[in-house]
Amino acid sequence: MGYPVLNVQSVTMAFGGLRAVDDVSFDVKPGEIVGLIGPNGAGKTTLFNVISGYLKPTQGRIFFHGDDITGKPPYDLAKIGIGRTFQIVKPFAGLSVLENVMVAALLKHPSKKNAEANARAVLEFTGLLDKAHMPASSLTLPGRKRLEIAKALALEPSLLLLDEVMAGLNPTEVKETTGLIQQVWDRGVTVLLIEHNMRVIMSLSHRVIVLNYGEKIAEGSPKEVAENPLVIKAYLGEEMAV
Amino acid sequence: MGRKFYASISVVVLLFLVVPLVVHDTFYLRAVTEAIMWIGLAVTWDVLAGYTGYLNFGHGAFFGIGAYTTAILMVHKGWPFFAASIAGGAMAGLGALIAGIPTLRLRGAYFAIATWALARAIQQLALILDITGGPDGMRLPPFLQPRFFFYVMGGTVLIIFIVFWYLFEVDPFGLKVKAIRENEDGAMAMGLNPARIKTKVFTISAVPTGIIGGIYAYWITYIDPPSTLGDLVTDQAVVMAVFGGLGTLIGPAIGALIISTFKIYFWAYLSDYQVLYLIILGGLIALSVVFMPDGLWGTVYGKIQNARLAGSKEKR
Repeated sequence: MGYPVLNVQSVTMAFGGLRAVDDVSFDVKPGEIVGLIGPNGAGKTTLFNVISGYLKPTQGRIFFHGDDITGKPPYDLAKIGIGRTFQIVKPFAGLSVLENVMVAALLKHPSKKNAEANARAVLEFTGLLDKAHMPASSLTLPGRKRLEIAKALALEPSLLLLDEVMAGLNPTEVKETTGLIQQVWDRGVTVLLIEHNMRVIMSLSHRVIVLNYGEKIAEGSPKEVAENPLVIKAYLGEEMAV
Repeated sequence: MGRKFYASISVVVLLFLVVPLVVHDTFYLRAVTEAIMWIGLAVTWDVLAGYTGYLNFGHGAFFGIGAYTTAILMVHKGWPFFAASIAGGAMAGLGALIAGIPTLRLRGAYFAIATWALARAIQQLALILDITGGPDGMRLPPFLQPRFFFYVMGGTVLIIFIVFWYLFEVDPFGLKVKAIRENEDGAMAMGLNPARIKTKVFTISAVPTGIIGGIYAYWITYIDPPSTLGDLVTDQAVVMAVFGGLGTLIGPAIGALIISTFKIYFWAYLSDYQVLYLIILGGLIALSVVFMPDGLWGTVYGKIQNARLAGSKEKR
């Protein structure tokens, strides 16, 4: 049982000549919250797409609790415990909020009755229970982001991949969502999150990994990474690093 | 399944059993049989279109494959009717499995075009093969018993409706299918395999359609490529389902009932203006899509749902 939850080994994702992810390796250990940061276009979401099965890496392997999951499709990964949210949220707009989460809950609870009960519990945990019967399309952005997280949680994952869940939220909403992520972590879920909001990264992450132009340029505690001149240069440009 | 469902089905079954005892004029009996047939065709089209989001413009091919399989087995191999029509359904199902491989990976309009094209290809096949009788079509052994066909068509469509109700409204399968319609990538993240589910629904929509085609063949006693493999079967089923309300089972049933009744009376009393029927149908679907996109039943049901939601909110 000494395996890391996630082990990314020399993963490269190339589109023709463009290396969106270039030879990236890192671990995520059980019980960690790891932040994945980098300027726009650094390859963070592409890396998520590779880890969560939407893309097959050009090179490299990915291991989940020691098992090789390289190239496995998203639906297989959901079954073994990887939950993922999307930067541009993907709700089932024509279905109710409850039905949205039920679809996910059906994975671990195949009977409609049990799935509904579990879905309700998740809705309560994420503060969406009062909207259970509203169509998902009627939710505002913060509601949709919450629903996205609720759906991923209903899969009962051991690893949760969060892609910019704070984007577009006001400070109060950011605080609430940060609290939610902490509660999720308290329940024993390992979290890997992409974020641009540095405050959130600093307050939540145990470790931070930095990407730039597809390559990993730094890794360490939030403080170490914040003071790393390579990281500062990547975000702010050459002059600031000096 | 709920008590309301059993109650409604019992009423329908009762009405259904009583009809031939009350209706002696064979014209009316045949009219009702045809209406029931269209309910079957509209509902089977809708499970792939409304529930899954895949518009099959070759749906009529399943009908025609069922019709021709039944005819060939009865005429050339001497099979009895029931076995032949089941085989018709099986062949249509096989057709769906094969056709699904290249087409289900296409989205939206491309799927519609590809299925339409495949249906045309099958129509051509029936025109050139000897075993199908080519352009002359096929004559089945005559069995002119309107009551028999009323019961067979009605019983078949009733069973189809009940099975579909279970699969798509009661069982979680319906929810999974709708999730795929709403967002395929999102559905994959929820553990759903879209290719597998779409193939299942495609086949589930094809088999009953083939059986209905087989019943039609024996009922009408004569089939040919234009009537069983042409565009019209698909087109009418589509209009009925859209007009009635996609994404439900009751919607297409209501749409089929209204439009086939209209059609039969048009044919009976306004046969000089036959061509108008199709023009009116075209206009109807255009107006439906613009002004009533949820269809007749969809709009009514939506209003009931909204009233219920508003009512429960006020109670707090």
